[in-house]
Amino acid sequence: MLRFDHVDVSIAGVHVLRRLSFHLPPGSTTALIGHNGAGKTTTARTIMGFTAAKGSIRLAGEEISGVAPHRRPALGIGYAPEDRRLFSAFTVEENVLLPARVGRLSAAETKRRLERAYWVLPELKELAGRPAGSVSGGQGKMVALGRALMLGARLVILDEPFQGLAPVLAQRYAEALRRLRSDDRQIALLITESNPKLLESFADVTLTIERGEIVDGAH
Amino acid sequence: MDSTLAILAILDGVSYAALVFLVSVGLSLVFGVLRIVNVAHGSLYAYGAYVAATLSLVVAPISPWLTFPALLVAAVIVGVVVGGLMERFLLRPVYGREDVLQLLITFAVFMIMDNLQRLIWGVQPIFAAEPVKLLPNVSVFGVNYTAYQVILLPLVAAATLIGLRYFLRYTLAGAVILAVTEDREAATAIGVDARKVFLVTFMIGAGLAALGGALASPTTSLAPGMGADMIVLSFAVAATAGLGQIEGAAVTALMIGLSRAFIIYIQPEFEVLVPYLLMVIVLLVRPMGLFGVNRVRKI
Repeated sequence: MLRFDHVDVSIAGVHVLRRLSFHLPPGSTTALIGHNGAGKTTTARTIMGFTAAKGSIRLAGEEISGVAPHRRPALGIGYAPEDRRLFSAFTVEENVLLPARVGRLSAAETKRRLERAYWVLPELKELAGRPAGSVSGGQGKMVALGRALMLGARLVILDEPFQGLAPVLAQRYAEALRRLRSDDRQIALLITESNPKLLESFADVTLTIERGEIVDGAH
Repeated sequence: MDSTLAILAILDGVSYAALVFLVSVGLSLVFGVLRIVNVAHGSLYAYGAYVAATLSLVVAPISPWLTFPALLVAAVIVGVVVGGLMERFLLRPVYGREDVLQLLITFAVFMIMDNLQRLIWGVQPIFAAEPVKLLPNVSVFGVNYTAYQVILLPLVAAATLIGLRYFLRYTLAGAVILAVTEDREAATAIGVDARKVFLVTFMIGAGLAALGGALASPTTSLAPGMGADMIVLSFAVAATAGLGQIEGAAVTALMIGLSRAFIIYIQPEFEVLVPYLLMVIVLLVRPMGLFGVNRVRKI
């Protein structure tokens, strides 16, 4: 589904990703494990086009390294950043629906994806009318996942989704990911995390990144 | 101060506040989204006034009533053409660069536009008061005032405030602007083209400044320097309200417009001082402005 070939990224003169190469198979759940500063978030941001990267990035065989960042979500990539980054001017449901409005999805397709998001994340329905700025950190992570699901038809990137979550919420989040996986066997999930134990129960593939290089699990 | 002077001061203040609001809300909108304090915003106000006066003088012999749509057309032309060119070729290359560089660029643009203005329209005052003459005078508690200034200008300002809030809250384009304002990268991650949003926002902001200038053009003689006066005052309003605050800009424009008008009747030598004194006091007490909030930007 997604293939990185010798991807290099430097930020402010610091070499953050070094000839990074890995492959995410379709329908796989891949854990990208590494310490803080290892390059996990930069990898996620590079897939979204937010860094100046050298090398090849292919999605379903198509080279996307030259695709403008704002055009990448339309390729079926959903992204939930580490710090949730909701739009506080809107309600929870408006946040979830905004990608569909921006992507000009049909009403039927929007409804289908929203229903899927609510099925995967039942909590969102209860929060739907709440101002996004008023939800807790854990709830915000759920909303960010719901928003990513509106676009992520092929690949969903979750950057450190479990960080800072209370154990109960972390369990609910993990259940949501299992529901998503059971609902769609073709979708690829890339989940970054610093603690490998959190993902060992449902990751099919584990990649370990250190100083911008995959040191374990690349294939 | 007798009651007649007080009424006159209120009417002066309200009509002036309407113009200042239009310009300052444009400045505030541009800052809220692009994070650039556009010093050349005053030039857009001046160009709006000059283009409106030029168009009015052209269409008035055909029908004096055509001068009203001419004011709107002037604002749209300046907003879309001048604003669009300015954003695309002068501001876009400096997005994300140091604040001081952005400030210097917009200051240079202001100086260039000021000189171009003298080249195009000369330095002699231009009068195009047709729209004011077409509307009757109204009597407010026995005080005669032009309907153009005391009714039309506040109505346009109120309609702009309501229209802008509706646009931002209930349209997709507005929602996208709010999203980019809050988090450019998160907005891009859902498919928003932030560069297009910057361009459209800048054109709207430029158009609002030009609308202020166009509406002011029938009430005053146009002369070099009018842009500089307005940018300083509108910056005082935007900063006092809190940069990025729309409703706050309206309230603050009214507050500064009224206080300025009253001081003209009471102690005219303090006319220039009052708005900036208010700004300094407010910013010393609340650095984020009267209606501003820390961290989260609002527009």
